[in-house]
Amino acid sequence: MLKLSRRHLLKTAATLTVLAAAPLAIARAAAEESVHSVINALIKKYSDEARAGMSNGDVSALFEKDGFRDYLDAYPVGDLAGGFVWKPGMGASFVGPYSKLQIKSPFTDYLPLTEGPVLDHSKKYRIGLVFHGFNHPWLISLADTAAWEAARHPNIELEVIDAEFDDNKMGQVIDTWIAKQYDGIVLWPNREAPMGPPVDRAIAAGIPVVSLDRRTSSEQISSEVLGNFYANGLQQGLYLKHAAPEGNIIFNRKDLGSTADSIRTGAFLEAIGNTPGYKVLANYHTNSQRTLAFKSTADAMQAFHDISVSFNTGGEEAMGALDAIREANRLNSAPGGKKIMILANDDAREVLKEIRSGNIEMVSPYTPLIGDIGIRAVVMHIGAKAGLNEAPPKLIMTPNLPMITKEKMNIEGIETLTPDEWPYAYGPEVAG
Amino acid sequence: MTVLEFSTPRVAPFLLGLLRDPIIWLILLIFAVGTLTSEYYFTALNIENLMRSIAVIGLLSLGMTVVLLTGRIDLSVAALMIFSVIVGVVVMTEIGPMLGSRWLVRGNTYAGPIVPVILIALATGIAVGALNGIGVAYFKVASFIMTLVSLTALRGFNYVLTNGHPYYLKAPFYSWIGDSKMVGIPISFVIFLLVLLALMGFIHGTMRGGRFYAIGGNEKAALYAGIKTQRYVVLAYAISGLCAAIAGIIFTARLKSVDAPLAAGYELTAIAIAVIGGSALAGGVGSPWRTLLGSVAFAAGLNLLAIWGVGTWYQNLAIGVVLIISVGLSQMSRKKTQA
Repeated sequence: MLKLSRRHLLKTAATLTVLAAAPLAIARAAAEESVHSVINALIKKYSDEARAGMSNGDVSALFEKDGFRDYLDAYPVGDLAGGFVWKPGMGASFVGPYSKLQIKSPFTDYLPLTEGPVLDHSKKYRIGLVFHGFNHPWLISLADTAAWEAARHPNIELEVIDAEFDDNKMGQVIDTWIAKQYDGIVLWPNREAPMGPPVDRAIAAGIPVVSLDRRTSSEQISSEVLGNFYANGLQQGLYLKHAAPEGNIIFNRKDLGSTADSIRTGAFLEAIGNTPGYKVLANYHTNSQRTLAFKSTADAMQAFHDISVSFNTGGEEAMGALDAIREANRLNSAPGGKKIMILANDDAREVLKEIRSGNIEMVSPYTPLIGDIGIRAVVMHIGAKAGLNEAPPKLIMTPNLPMITKEKMNIEGIETLTPDEWPYAYGPEVAG
Repeated sequence: MTVLEFSTPRVAPFLLGLLRDPIIWLILLIFAVGTLTSEYYFTALNIENLMRSIAVIGLLSLGMTVVLLTGRIDLSVAALMIFSVIVGVVVMTEIGPMLGSRWLVRGNTYAGPIVPVILIALATGIAVGALNGIGVAYFKVASFIMTLVSLTALRGFNYVLTNGHPYYLKAPFYSWIGDSKMVGIPISFVIFLLVLLALMGFIHGTMRGGRFYAIGGNEKAALYAGIKTQRYVVLAYAISGLCAAIAGIIFTARLKSVDAPLAAGYELTAIAIAVIGGSALAGGVGSPWRTLLGSVAFAAGLNLLAIWGVGTWYQNLAIGVVLIISVGLSQMSRKKTQA
């Protein structure tokens, strides 16, 4: 007769529990991972369809006129570095060193670095972060996360400079850091073309450079931490297709030539390009400025009586559009007395508040909380240069994040999240 | 010795005048403080950076100085510096297909000959400058309004002509202008020095050049003295346009691309430098040489702040303070001279 001790039983039970839990955990991980891969698969699907042709003449004309194909083809879509699987709830909470706002940063476990001195503990590493816009809620949050990561490592000295949306000034800052023989440079480039040469000069001087969010024209750059622009525009398009098969659209877009505009608007047009019911009424470039978006939307309100959709490349634009529509008392002036649908990007707290209130229909999160990845990546490059560790990948994709809607929905396999399920919003708290 | 006998009386007052000039001492002070406080300030690489900065803002300021001498202002310089290069590229990309070539290749890279682009850019700078001058001199539009309208229109044209997309300019000759050096001096700075010498020769060495001072000092008197003031005003704006185009060429050669929104607000920097260099906004006072000193003081000061890691907000504050002090000193010295 088989004799089983109590201890043996407990051990067996524990083993069985682990064995039983493992497939569940794997399944859960797979399900969570699939947000990234589901969206990537949809990107491929709609991109292939758009490449084959667009049946909507209006959408096709805008797509061709602004040359979106070149930008979309060059924008990488792929897997996360090191097989990272992002799950909602992950990340560290802290107070932003610059904004003084409470932040929950989603990707602090991505390409992680242990707190404490990095690389050669006896050496001080000087890293420069140059970006534009300490006065911009999205951008200050980016700087917050970079400064937070740098502060976790006592032998990193971080210098943060705001180039004030002057590309030449940003180039001069990089040239100064080359002269000062900095160990690494992280940058948020506003436009691609002018920032390639300064990056190339830094690389030629042996300084690793990592770009955040937007791209530069440099092919030599050490790493690019890429956001999920493609996922943003695609989800705006998918939501629109899901909510209304036809409609007259006005566009509030960022600078032509900026990665944010090229990829988001391009992906949105790809998603709706084979639905014949959409019409492009007006197309404005409001350059991330709420006031300009307000003005252009107010102008559109005067010019058109049948607007049904306001597409916005960013959150600031969406807020400007909403303000103008509200001021014109036209929130429910779409054909058939329906509400004008406002599609947004960028998960600012005030945008989420408007989603809760039902004024903005959806937002594709585009988190600025990625500065920490840039710091970690550049440290890894510095280490790789000294033979202390392996270099991170050249293309560091950030996880695709599902869109946020007032109510939970399933749109082509994407499970949307509600504002209450999203702790990663940035920007100042808003009342109500 | 004959040479010494001839040159000493001329050189000595010049040197003495130089030593009495506070801006020289300001520049020396900046360099001394920079060298003492940072091991990276007085290095070949940083001095190169400095010279490159001086070249672009210095060229804009030189053109501005000539216009200020006549008692007028040119707010269109920064928009024109980008516009002229864009026109050069756009015209050549239109000419290409006529010659059976496609000069704008994938990714908006200009692949045609670059020298015609440069020549067209220079011609555009002169033409737009002259148009500004005609508006101001013959149609009596206030220079502030005329050039503000040009600024707005040119910025608009920049977007229309490029459709908002950048043009990449990667021709070897263009890169040579942007990146190469001659005896350790960046080519862009050499170009700036050549323009400076030419302007100094024209303004101080010819009777025609001297007439800018006459117009700025007392336009009516200059007119009654038989000077065709309108022609000189047009000439001043054409020179400003030419300087802006040259600045545009060396600016975009460094960035290896041209993009519609570039260099926004640089016209204010050009005015600031000309004023720091002693040019009077009321006209009749200033010189290219002093604008060079203003450019060096401005760029060296900013470079020092950058080397110290001072944020751009504080840099802007410093520019404002220096500008107020310069305008104040200029006013005081004017009153002293008049007294």
